[in-house]
Amino acid sequence: MTEQSLAFVFRGIAIVGAILVGLIAIYQVRNDWTTPGLDIQVSKLLLALMAVGCVIVILSSTGVIGWQTRAGY
Amino acid sequence: MTAATIAHEGHHDDHALALYREVADIRLLGFVLFLISDCVLFSSFIFAYIYMRDAAPVWPPTGVGLPDANLAAVNSIILFGSGATMHFAMENWKHGTEIKFRRWMVATIVLGALFLTGQGWEYTHINATWWGSTFGAAFFTLTGMHGFHVFCGIIFLIVLLNQTLSGVYNKKQYFGLVAGTLYWHFVDVIWVFLFFLFYVW
Repeated sequence: MTEQSLAFVFRGIAIVGAILVGLIAIYQVRNDWTTPGLDIQVSKLLLALMAVGCVIVILSSTGVIGWQTRAGY
Repeated sequence: MTAATIAHEGHHDDHALALYREVADIRLLGFVLFLISDCVLFSSFIFAYIYMRDAAPVWPPTGVGLPDANLAAVNSIILFGSGATMHFAMENWKHGTEIKFRRWMVATIVLGALFLTGQGWEYTHINATWWGSTFGAAFFTLTGMHGFHVFCGIIFLIVLLNQTLSGVYNKKQYFGLVAGTLYWHFVDVIWVFLFFLFYVW
């Protein structure tokens, strides 16, 4: 397997995984939206940030953002 | 057993639960404060990196190769996925399905270990050293510190799993599991920032 095709596979895995995990995170935040309690509030905040992380991974893997895109990889 | 004795024991249980909740609230506040202090620790290193990068005339420093973002993206999803499995574990504990809880906990531990393996692989292949450049110093310090947190988290989860097997927690009193979940989500979120700084920016 060449380096380019390996990178393509990695990007594919990252995009599919990020969509899946991001949707799970958003669903859980939505599910716990009205649940009271400090632990739930902190958990919601952290899950929302994790969903943001998934968006960053998707944008990076699709080449929208990132130093690799700027460098022309 | 008379009706009066049963009523008395029920009252005693309610009192014990109320006391537990009060102590758990204080513990939770303490744990959240610990997470905030950890956040400050990471922030200081992150801002030091941003300052160094901003002040550098050339970035990355000459002779330094930037890390592979594709591998890091997969590694990130492994870690974020472990956050999702941890959340499922906690939900299953709350709903009383202990076997599923254990399965999700084991999945979380395995994914955490996989992430560390990926990090280890990257450390041996990256074209930078801790002492060779500002980039290398910042990269190894921040990702190393994060990796140490993940390692501690894995130990934490193994201890929690062991405690659930030996009956330390029940369906109403499970503060340790809440703390473990929050810690694991925190470790995930720190990686969001590190991923952006080292692999995207």
